Amino acid sequence: MMIRFHCNGKPVQVDVEPNARVIDLLREDLGLTGTKEGCGRGECGACTILLDGKPVNACLLLVGKIVDREIVTIEGIAGEDGSLHPIQEAFLDTGAVQCGFCTPGMVLSAKALLDENGTPAVEAVEEALSGNLCRCTGYGKIVEGVLEASRRLTEGQDRGGG
Amino acid sequence: MRYLKPSSVEEAADLLESSQGMILAGGTDLCVYMAEGVVDPEALIDIGDLDAMRGIQAAKSDHGDVIRIGACTTIAEIATSEALPTCLRQGAQAVGSPQIRNLGTIGGNVCNASPCGDTLAPLLTLDARFVLRSSGGTRTVESGDFFTGPKQTVLGPGEILEFIEIPAASCARASAFRMIGNRKGQAISQVNAAVSLTIADGRMSDIRVAVGSVAPIPLRLTKLEGVLDGQPIDDVSLAAIREPVLEGIRPIDDVRSTATYRQEVTVSLVFDAWAECVGRASGEGECR
Repeated sequence: MMIRFHCNGKPVQVDVEPNARVIDLLREDLGLTGTKEGCGRGECGACTILLDGKPVNACLLLVGKIVDREIVTIEGIAGEDGSLHPIQEAFLDTGAVQCGFCTPGMVLSAKALLDENGTPAVEAVEEALSGNLCRCTGYGKIVEGVLEASRRLTEGQDRGGG
Repeated sequence: MRYLKPSSVEEAADLLESSQGMILAGGTDLCVYMAEGVVDPEALIDIGDLDAMRGIQAAKSDHGDVIRIGACTTIAEIATSEALPTCLRQGAQAVGSPQIRNLGTIGGNVCNASPCGDTLAPLLTLDARFVLRSSGGTRTVESGDFFTGPKQTVLGPGEILEFIEIPAASCARASAFRMIGNRKGQAISQVNAAVSLTIADGRMSDIRVAVGSVAPIPLRLTKLEGVLDGQPIDDVSLAAIREPVLEGIRPIDDVRSTATYRQEVTVSLVFDAWAECVGRASGEGECR
């Protein structure tokens, strides 16, 4: 069945079964392997993507549910010139990345939070990341990374807005 | 497997009647069951996008004024709705993770009927009613009559939960929810408890107490309610509620907890939820 949706800002049209999982569509059909499959049961959050701006588990999402909707994967948040997103920069600078398997999901959960609340308290960051497991584990550094990203994005806005 | 997207709840009921399919709402439970091979439906009937089954609004029912919740309203929407009583919002906030709450629906939490479902005890204390749709029309079932066993309900093979109705009178009561799990995020309740009540002149009335994960179904503690009804709030203590709580529950040992632990924790959670209700009813914070 021909399915249409938007992925990372671009229209996509692909022939795929509507009962396929979005994680498989992304990784196998579209070659977007930045989205990781961990548990496959909605518990680890490694497959987190944004659906109309909200974080969801791509392993629990069937293709039929994204028709005419907008999804964003980790590949979609970098600048057009390939420059990293400020959240990614902040993760690198604070040492929030160890093995990296949870990182794409962590970054997207952080993005969903910061898009809604630009200056979150520590508790709000912990709540926003509560569906993403890290087994290395660098939770402390990851929370620090999100707070650092919040500071940088806010400063950027202040400059931009004069 | 066929993937069907009906354009109305009536069409969904007809499809359910004429197929061996299963209803797909948010998919957060069903996709896990399919991944594990627990179910292999001939068709999926996706009702998640039906606007008529989403949202929270005041309405008139045969039983009077109600808040009507579409069964496909997401758990995240329930958790953040100012129109809903506190205990239901708190219960919704305790479900899964942000990702799960963005996909999962309150109708799914109800129909999956896990004894530990975190919106179920709140719905019981609010005297919620469930409107069930089939190709033959609708019928309404009291939340207290809906659950029959672990993951079992009175829902017939051709029936769909369309709405959840909460009487306006229930929304006027103070309410609170508590749960305990292994960790704060993404934990399944070892025990959960909800309380709703009215206080006038220092005495309690209209008291409802419900608990989850301590019996095959979420259940009301009617013995305790009888003990508390009409009593002054100053007479309530952990010791005073202990026996009536323990008489009402039937916890078991399982992977998440032990029966003994659950007994002790249920008493404490019911007391904590009760104390939060009393604080709110006494004018600390918002009116409900």
